[in-house]
Order: sequence, then structure tokens, then C-alpha cells
Amino acid sequence: MHIIEVDSVSKKYELSANKGAVSLKNGIKNLLTKEEKEIFWAVNDVSFALNRGDKLGIVGSNGAGKSTLLKILSKITKPTTGAIHVRGKVASLLEVGTGFHPELTGRENIFLNGAILGMTKHEIKSQFDEIVDFAGEQISRFLDTPVKRYSSGMYVRLGFAISAHLNPEILIVDEVLAVGDADFQKKSLGKMREVAANDKTILFVSHNLTAVANLCNKTLHLEKGRVKQFGETGEVLSNYMAALQTNRLEQSFDSFDSAPGSQQIRLKRATLIPELLEGQTYLDIRNKINVSIEFWNTEPNQQLNVSLHLFASTGECIFNVGTPPGQFGVGVVQATLEIPGHFLNDGTYHISFMVVKDKSIVLYNFEEVFNFEIADFREDTTWYGKWPGYVRPVFPFPIRQLSDSI
Amino acid sequence: MNLIQQKLKEIGSDWELLVILAKRDISVRYKQTILGLSWAIVKPVATMLVFLFAYKQVAKIQDISGYPIQLVIFSGILFWNYFANSLQAISNSILVNSNLISKVYFPRLIICFSSIAVSLVDFLVGLAVYLILALSLHQDISGYIFLLPVALFITSLFALGFGLIFASFSVKYRDVQQIIPLIVQYGFFATPIVYTTKQLSEKSWFLWYNILNPLAGMVEMFRACLISQYDLLTAQNLSISVLASVLVFILGIIIFDKREDSFVDYL
Repeated sequence: MHIIEVDSVSKKYELSANKGAVSLKNGIKNLLTKEEKEIFWAVNDVSFALNRGDKLGIVGSNGAGKSTLLKILSKITKPTTGAIHVRGKVASLLEVGTGFHPELTGRENIFLNGAILGMTKHEIKSQFDEIVDFAGEQISRFLDTPVKRYSSGMYVRLGFAISAHLNPEILIVDEVLAVGDADFQKKSLGKMREVAANDKTILFVSHNLTAVANLCNKTLHLEKGRVKQFGETGEVLSNYMAALQTNRLEQSFDSFDSAPGSQQIRLKRATLIPELLEGQTYLDIRNKINVSIEFWNTEPNQQLNVSLHLFASTGECIFNVGTPPGQFGVGVVQATLEIPGHFLNDGTYHISFMVVKDKSIVLYNFEEVFNFEIADFREDTTWYGKWPGYVRPVFPFPIRQLSDSI
Repeated sequence: MNLIQQKLKEIGSDWELLVILAKRDISVRYKQTILGLSWAIVKPVATMLVFLFAYKQVAKIQDISGYPIQLVIFSGILFWNYFANSLQAISNSILVNSNLISKVYFPRLIICFSSIAVSLVDFLVGLAVYLILALSLHQDISGYIFLLPVALFITSLFALGFGLIFASFSVKYRDVQQIIPLIVQYGFFATPIVYTTKQLSEKSWFLWYNILNPLAGMVEMFRACLISQYDLLTAQNLSISVLASVLVFILGIIIFDKREDSFVDYL
């Protein structure tokens, strides 16, 4: 017996010029004129079923329909067609601290938020101390202060603490793990693991693939509202990552005339090839990356070198390396760079490079030649928060006991 | 009828949530005790004083239909504030709580029902003021005061019915909200709030007046429960009011039920 059955569920939105709420006049006008509406299927013919105890990760790029699907599953909105059958008590956490009222105290908000999330008064009372305890010492001191005076961190901690003590059979969670400071994230994920360990069924939307990989046994990959793949987490995630990474990893131009560049310098071919380990389908932090750049040079006897910049998605330059200068004649010149594994942190990066003459004159700057993503990889860990920093080197960093006495 | 039963059952099953949402509204309102309380006291008293001034000083009227002028006006205002505030709160309840509605599922009607709570507390505060006023004027309290909850109930049904209709439409058509202040403003004068039905009862159109404005019967219901020896509540306008309340309430539930599934799409 499946605990959740989703049977070809679709959700249609009509995009008209006046999207969402309209004025009464326009509403009547629309009724009369039958204006052509653009139809958008946020969720399109999605079916899957879960057994009791399954933990489902839902992944997909922005606009893939993840949030709409969660809203349908938590009964907030009705599907246009199709049906869902849910057997058991559902609690959905689409945000932290839903319904918190700024004027009310922490204590009052615990009862309010708990009731909104479906806890009975008795349940809240019996867990009250645990909730406060989980939220941290700071909260317990300000329990009778209106939450409008809380810092945003305290607000989130209190909200999560309440959610963490829900006791439904089915838990629907949207991205709420990406909250709080590193310490609190650790605590929250620990709690999620604890919940995951018992018989609960969890549906979990996240961009944090490490967390999905570690918490979920099944994964649903949505793309443009449709099911791209549903199945075992390992398999779905590796296909998902592989699909994500079909970025611009190779650029090549057949003829000089169509290639980008200046009169003197044109790009012939540029490749970015990760050295994947056996069984790996996508690039992660462990892999060595080989970059190769070939360009045409039309002038004889030139002193040239290539200078390469690697940028983070935020636009900061992570490093700039240059080849040594050399004497080159007319023809094709190649530069190769090896970025070692265990060097760049997970994230999205892009590479630009320029060809420089006589160590000072920039002949051409090829911008954003590659755009690529490095996935996270962790073994034997209980922490899935975002690893900070742009680089993630593995330096020797031994630790040992120096003495047995204090 | 099945639908009404099913909807009431839904509310019953989530009674705790209704209570806690009502408590939230009340404690937010009365958090600043002085302001909350004074609002509930000052508003009706001030309205009464304005009309007393107009009647006694300007128009030289000493009593209305033979009843103490202060009590007639104050009981009318108490009724009107309860109705108008409830109607306004219910009509806005979905939009005001849109953050809840778009993030959690619970029977939507709960939020409409719980939004009456503040008006109810304000009414009780006003009622205390009324009792003090009556005592200070050496007037007896009506022996029917124990029926006041029934009058409140009938009025609430009417407010809910209309409120649900407005709430349902205002989610998609935001300007519907702007109609309510107009209803409250003109309704105050179109209903016997600062006068009584006695002044109209001779007219040939009195029956139609009662049918078109069932609030007239309701305000007389309140006065019958509050003013000693008040005899302007007739069986006719009582039955019109009760019937209208029930019908409007059912209509409100039907319309709300039809539209509630699409609320989230417009919030």
C-alpha cells in the first residue's frame, strides 16, 4: 500500500496581461471579450508513488515546478487535473516560522505556529521545553519578548525548532535547511537525519544535492513541470548532474573568418575536460580539470603569452595565471592548463583568457569562454551545509595528543 | 445542506486552530491595553455624543420614540459596530492572512470565522459601557438580556454570509474591498441606528424596507434585549431578519466553497 500516490497531476496557470488579481472592471471586461490567454503548465502530468518510510528528494532547476508540486501535495492549491491520494497526517514546511506574528511573544508564537502547522495544544505543551531548548539559550531568555525584537537568526531558529518537533507521518520540506548559521545548520540537519532514521515519509525539495544524496533514498527530477526521472537517488542524481554540466565545455571554430577575436588573433578551439574517476558521470571537487586553448596567429615573429582568469559566479576573480612568453610565428598556438583536483570548492565558475603581446599589450580578451559547475563531494559526513570558501585545498593538517596530563 | 454540514464539520475538526487565531487577533489588538480598550470605549461613546449634540442642541429632540435617547443611540451603535467591524474583518480575512494561506493548508473558513473575535470582544467592552450608562441614567435593563447571544448569533450569520461573499471575490478582484467602507458608511444611516423603526412603521413601504434591509430587524432585536419595555421588535421584522441571515449565510458558504480552491493562485 503506497502512502502517497500522485496520479498524473497537472497544474495550469493562465498568464494574461493582468496576471493574478485584477480589478473588477477588468475582470468583467475579460469575461466579455474572452481574451486569448497564454497557458502555462507549471506541473505537467506528474505521477509517482511512495511507500511508508521513503525519503524523496525533489530536484530540478528554478521554474521546474518543484514548489508548485509541493503546494499541490500539501493541499494548499488544487491540481487542475489528476489526483493525489495521501494516507496519513501531513505537515508541510514551506517556510520557517509560518504565521509568526511580530507583536506576539516567542512563547505565544510557539503556540500559534504549532497550531498552524497542525499540532494540538496538548502536543505543543508537552514538547514546549524541548522546543525552547532546541532553539537555543538566547531564545529562552527572550521567550516573553515580542518576536519583532528578535534578530533574524533568532527568528529562524525558533521557527525551525517548532517545525522540528512536528510529529506527522508525512513531512513536506522546502529548502528550510538553508537557514541559520553553520552551527544551527548542523543541528537542523542532525534533526532531519534523526527524523529520517525512523519510519517517517519525507518529501524534500532542495538545491543542496549533498543533503539530498545523504538523506533521500528516492529522487524525483523535474524539468519544465514534467518528470524527467524518478527512481533511486544515486542514479537520478548522477544523471541530473551530468545533464546540468553539459555546459559550454568545448568551443571550436572551423574557419578563421567565423571565429571570435581580432585581426591578428582568433580562437580556434578551447576545451575544458575534467578527469573523471571511474564510475563518475559528473565533475566534482576531487577532479583534475584540463583546459586547452588553441588560437590562430596571423603575424610572424611575435612574442605572445596567454593570461587566464577564473571567476566565481559572484564575479570575483579567484586566480589569474599566465603562460611564460614565447616567440611564435604564423599558425596555430596552443596553451594548456591543469587545475588540480581538491583545489576549487564546489560552485559555478567561468573562465576568461587574453592573449598578450610583448608582456603588456592585450591583443584580445576572450570573455566567459567556459562556464562550468563543480559539484560537492563528501564522504562519511554528518554535515551538509555549504562548505565555505572559493578554494577547498587538502593541506596536510595533522592533529595529535601531546601529553596525557593537564 | 450537506455542504453546510460538511463545512461546519471542517471547522469543528480544527477548532483549536480557530481559537488560537482568534486569540492572536485579540491579543494583538489588546496588546497595548490602553489603546485597545480605549478604542472599544471611545469610538461608540464619541459617536453617541456627536448625535446627542445634534439631536438635543441642534434639533431639540429629547427622546426617540419614547425611549431614552442615549440608550437608543448607544445600543444602535453597539449593534452597528459589531456588524460593521465583523463584516470588514471577514471580508479582509483572506487577504490579510495571505502569508498563511499560501504556505499552509487548513480549512480556509477558519480564518473567516476567527476574524469575528475582535469585534466580539469590542462588543462586550461596549456592552459594559452600555450597562454603566443605563445605570447612571437610572434605567432598568431589559429582562430579555439573556437573549442577547441569540441576537448576536443571528447578526453574525448575516455578517458572515456577506463577509464570505466579499472575501471570495476580493481575492481576485481587489477593488471589491473598497465597496465595504461605503456599505458601512451609508448603511449606518439607512439602518435605524440613530433612530428607530417606529418612525418608519407608518409608511406604506415599511415591509419592503425591512425585507431590503434585514439589519433593521436585527438592531431592534438588540434593543429589545437591552432597553427595558422596548416593544418595537415585531414578529414580522424578527422573522425577516432570521430568514435573511440564514439565507445570506448559506449563500456565502456556497460562493466561498466555489472559489476557495483558487485563492492561492491570486495571492
